[in-house]
Amino acid sequence: MCLAVPMQIKTIDDFQCVCEARGIEREVSLFMLQGEEIGPGDFVLVHVGYAIQKVSAEDAASSWELFDEILAADA
Amino acid sequence: MSHSAEYWLEALHGLGFKRPVRIMNVCGGHERTISLAGLRGAIPGNIELVPGPGCPVCICPEEDVFEAIQLALHEDIILVTFGDMLRVPVNVPKREPRSLEQARAAGGDIRPIASPSEAVRIAKENASRRVVFFAAGFETTTAPVAAMLAEGAPDNLLVLLSGRLTWPAIAMLLDSEKAGFDALIAPGHVATVMGPEEWQFVVDKHNIPAAVAGFRPDTLLAAMYSVLRQLKDGKRFLDNCYQEVVLPGGNREAQRQLNEVMQVGDANWRGVGVIPDSGFALRDSFAAHDARRHFRAYADDSRKRVGEMPPGCDCARVVLGKIYPNQCRLYGLGCTPRKPIGPCMVSDEGACRIWWSSGYRENEWEGRKKRQSVG
Ligand code: SF4
Repeated sequence: MCLAVPMQIKTIDDFQCVCEARGIEREVSLFMLQGEEIGPGDFVLVHVGYAIQKVSAEDAASSWELFDEILAADA
Repeated sequence: MSHSAEYWLEALHGLGFKRPVRIMNVCGGHERTISLAGLRGAIPGNIELVPGPGCPVCICPEEDVFEAIQLALHEDIILVTFGDMLRVPVNVPKREPRSLEQARAAGGDIRPIASPSEAVRIAKENASRRVVFFAAGFETTTAPVAAMLAEGAPDNLLVLLSGRLTWPAIAMLLDSEKAGFDALIAPGHVATVMGPEEWQFVVDKHNIPAAVAGFRPDTLLAAMYSVLRQLKDGKRFLDNCYQEVVLPGGNREAQRQLNEVMQVGDANWRGVGVIPDSGFALRDSFAAHDARRHFRAYADDSRKRVGEMPPGCDCARVVLGKIYPNQCRLYGLGCTPRKPIGPCMVSDEGACRIWWSSGYRENEWEGRKKRQSVG
């Protein structure tokens, strides 16, 4: 449950934003990152629908290798 | 600059540290990577990797799950909870619902959610009814619950909070006679929110090396290398092997929200007992959203006992790293993810579940019996 996944921000509306990863879109709250410089195109670490931290594009990409493995194992 | 998993594996083997050493992790996500990537088989044989208290669903008090079941059955409410909680068993007489899943089959309006935002949406869509959000989790999951309330939740949304802090369980183990580990890998996403400094006491007070790690094999192996190197050199410090995400101080805004909405106090852990300063509770200023204050009649203190796991289930010792999952007599025999007996086989973050889904099939008891009969 404490695993957060990196997603890319598409659009922002106040504290709500739409994020995308692997072709899947999700509504994500930016409430915990208020005060941070953040915009469309940035990557965030998302946990239970809330962004908990900004991450670099590079780290986002390499994290996904791991999640692919986890998803494959669960399938 | 980061190195590959192969690099760190080579470094681990090249270190020439031969003493037996037990490294504990406190995160289901860490245990999952370790098991799935087969790290136990790849690292030097003197290193044991011990899964510790890293599963919030597993240690969620039995009386809280029971309370949620009773609320769903006897009040006109919608109960929402993270999906992992649905199958967690409680100890009840035969024929009574022993999980939220069974309570739903018995007519309770119980809905799994994946985010606090869904709880808000359901409360808005059902303005005439009360919605109770049964929220178990460690800091990473509890912070978004706090954010949900800090932002302003609908009046009809109440929270039955079972949030826990991770570090006090490690503090309790270290203060006990037998901690059972020589080094610690600290949880990366808890540290992302709370800051790595929370784990400094492991080094300062107990002289035990610690390193914060992320969730890929390379960062976990880097953390193992760091703590072994510390043991070898006789130096101790808190290392951060997940610097790209874990910043000094953590996410201060999230901490501010947690502190605004919740206070920390002593709390019960299933199978473990009360751990000082380890649980979140809603502050008086958020009493209007506190299911515990609204539905006092369902809080049953008499259920607060240590060791209230299902009969035969050794989860309590699995959670504390005293035994490995396959050292439970029921592992893979009476208990599998399809027919789980204890919470450690129910939750995605339970060590039993992780070991089983990673392919560990041999029950150590069975193995021993077989070897005896063959030999
Ligand atoms: S294998 Fe099943 S019964 Fe044994 S400790 Fe794990 S969850 Fe409990």
